[in-house]
Amino acid sequence: MEIIEKIKTNKSDDNLTEIQKICLHKLHSSPLPNHKSELWRLSNKSKLSTFLDYSVNEKDSKFDIPYPKNSQSTIRLIIGENCQIKLIEKNYSIQHLSEDELQKYIKEQISFFKQNENWSDLLNLSLSCKNNILGLKINGSKIPPIEIFSHASSNALNAKTLVIFLEKNCDIELLQVNLGKENSSLSQSTFFCLKENSSLNHGVVSYGENRSNLLNSLNVIQQKNSAYNLGSLHFKFNYARFEISIKQSAGNAKTNIKGMQITKKDEQISTYTKIEFNGPNGFLDQINKSLADDKSHAIFEGSIIVPKIAQRTDASQLSRNLLLSNLAQIDTKPQLEIIADDVKCKHGATISQLNEEELFYMRTRGITLTEASKLQLSSYFQEIISFIPISKDKWDLLDKLLNEN
Amino acid sequence: MVNENLVKDVVKEPYKYGFVTDIETEKIEKGLNEDIIKLISQKKEEPKFLLDFRLKAFKKWQKMKEPDWAALGYKKIDYQDIIYYSAPKQKEKISSLDEVDPKLLETFDKLGIPLTEQKKLTNVAVDAVFDSVSIATTFREELAEHGVIFCSISEAVKNHADLIEKYLGTVVPASDNYFAALNSAVFSDGSFVYIPKGVTCPMDLSSYFRINSGDSGQFERTLIIAEESSSVSYLEGCTAPMFDTNTLHAAVVELIALDDASIKYSTVQNWYAGDEEGIGGIFNFVTKRGKCLGKRSKISWSQVETGSAITWKYPSCLLLGEESVGEFYSVALTNNLQQADTGTKMIHIGPKTKSTIISKGISAGNSKNSYRGLVKMGTKATGSRNYSQCDSMLIGDQASANTFPYIKSQQPNSEIEHEASTCRISEDQLFYLQSRGIEFEEAVSMMVSGFCRDVFNQLPMEFAAEADKLLALKLEGSVG
Repeated sequence: MEIIEKIKTNKSDDNLTEIQKICLHKLHSSPLPNHKSELWRLSNKSKLSTFLDYSVNEKDSKFDIPYPKNSQSTIRLIIGENCQIKLIEKNYSIQHLSEDELQKYIKEQISFFKQNENWSDLLNLSLSCKNNILGLKINGSKIPPIEIFSHASSNALNAKTLVIFLEKNCDIELLQVNLGKENSSLSQSTFFCLKENSSLNHGVVSYGENRSNLLNSLNVIQQKNSAYNLGSLHFKFNYARFEISIKQSAGNAKTNIKGMQITKKDEQISTYTKIEFNGPNGFLDQINKSLADDKSHAIFEGSIIVPKIAQRTDASQLSRNLLLSNLAQIDTKPQLEIIADDVKCKHGATISQLNEEELFYMRTRGITLTEASKLQLSSYFQEIISFIPISKDKWDLLDKLLNEN
Repeated sequence: MVNENLVKDVVKEPYKYGFVTDIETEKIEKGLNEDIIKLISQKKEEPKFLLDFRLKAFKKWQKMKEPDWAALGYKKIDYQDIIYYSAPKQKEKISSLDEVDPKLLETFDKLGIPLTEQKKLTNVAVDAVFDSVSIATTFREELAEHGVIFCSISEAVKNHADLIEKYLGTVVPASDNYFAALNSAVFSDGSFVYIPKGVTCPMDLSSYFRINSGDSGQFERTLIIAEESSSVSYLEGCTAPMFDTNTLHAAVVELIALDDASIKYSTVQNWYAGDEEGIGGIFNFVTKRGKCLGKRSKISWSQVETGSAITWKYPSCLLLGEESVGEFYSVALTNNLQQADTGTKMIHIGPKTKSTIISKGISAGNSKNSYRGLVKMGTKATGSRNYSQCDSMLIGDQASANTFPYIKSQQPNSEIEHEASTCRISEDQLFYLQSRGIEFEEAVSMMVSGFCRDVFNQLPMEFAAEADKLLALKLEGSVG
């Protein structure tokens, strides 16, 4: 693991940015996450070392987006390709964050980081060079939908970072697509800061190829009266981790999360979420679905933290899982940590397989077993897919999941 | 609007079992080493296999680290500052209860435990454990008529060594965890129950644990074996005097159910919980596990946890036999600075196994109440089912309630359902009850009782009444 060796030796390189130096320094004492900790206990060690085996690639080869851009009104950005953007229209503006703003914000975030909890972010920020960090400030309303792509090249590790400030009263739809190439590793860290009264409909589609790996981390700070909706889908990765951390900094905010992960062959995909309510009247509705087939392993761990200040919080978390094979494995652990007394909090978890009675019913109506299972799966997938913005009309994700996967 | 202070006052209730019995006791010196273990074994005139078992466990314990994963915070325990054996001085052999020190009988009378044989009306056989030793077991002859063996584990070691050698440590091995290893090395007494094939135990069996000295730990061990088609209901109660030091209690309970056997194990734990500032109280680190070895066997745990400064307890079921059933019903009430990290483990290994978990946590004051559970479906557990429900109730804005369910499945033909919720005493319901002329205090008590109903319904009659009374007592107080 070349990267870890580099971190260990802590060789000072003049080309490194200040942020890279801070993160390398933080990782120096223990470059790898602690596998005994709750967050990394179930993570496949050998798969993680495969992730780290590739050498870092700072310049991407030319990248062809496999998805059509059939609407002129969509803004499309690719992290790593010199995408200059400065759009100042009547109703809205999209601009790059200044170097100072970007540095200040990332440094502030790093000061809260903990070794195990934010290891993926620390690794990302210590590898991400200036070109691979995209910082945007978005203001206004009636903004056209935005698509942001991150991708990894074959036989390499790519680190991409995205920072977005959503100014007051701003309302956007944003789709983030992470694409893994064969034998590649992608480290993607995303930071959102939602100012008062802003609203973000966020979609994350992470789609891998043979033996591709992904460490995807998402950090959201929600100020008062902001609304954050997330629809996410992760599939076809040899190893993928999706880490979500959401802080409602002053309460009074709304968060909706609908996520899904699909594992086949010997893949391992995990989702870790941590939602903190640091003020009263917070709202959360979260559902996470997993489907594990063949010899794969799907993991979900979600924690909801409600301190004393967060009175009248209304939070619910549901983990629904389908286990389709004798050799597959599912681990799920929804957690509640509550100190405030005037709250409504609940969570639920189920693990089962396709409903036999429903299958039987459909077969008595002349539908074949394969078709009937597909129908059931499509209704299982549809709830999540319909929540992912922009992708709906363009990409037939459902078809991709049912037929291609 | 609920008056917060009023609710807080209501949940305060002095501990009424906090008296100390002034009785001459025999104690050994403080500390833990091989010699101490040999001394305990020698005092109890144990066979060699048991001494070897203890020494092996001690070696393992020395290599282990005290677990720190639970959501508990307490000052470090000095294991060398504990007396590992303390026994009331008594005549060599007791042939009848008349020879038991009257002070001891008085103590148990005060606790409401009828030991004297005149009090047969209750129809519950009792094994009373005082500090490190069992002082009396009632109804032995009646039980013996049915072939049931109910005695202290020290007696069982002498009279039924074969059974002890065969089963001891098979459910909770000495190396299982830090506290189980400690218990295996120094366990002093406890109860032993053997129900022969086809016998339904004619009465409920009960053991009553009393810690009397402030500087000695209690390490009891209970072993229950239910042979084919037998059934037994076992009750356990615990109290301790008030000391301003922390006393360690590390028990191990092992249950074994063979084909078609059923064991129901109920606990009302009311160890001293420390005062309002969190001074004193029992550190309760208990390993309880049942093995459903046989087909269609059933083990049911029900517990009401109201005492102890620290509770660390996860009664579990290993469901090996086909169609075996595991159940866990729990109410945990914490107040002041009490901390409880409790839950269960249901390990489904055999096919068509079923388990149910109902857990109710009530946290008041500055206490911390966590549910931690594991449900695991192994690769062979086809057609297995689990249903878990964990509800928490918060009283006051200083208490915390946490839920940590671990769910793991490797078997597609099995189903797991888990749900958890958190609530507080509803103002509307309180208002409604008060408007019907019910006192505030009684209304709170009624609602807590209603919240726990699912669990109380599972307790044996005598215990359900005691548990309800206990919660009501804890919720009764200085209002008005």
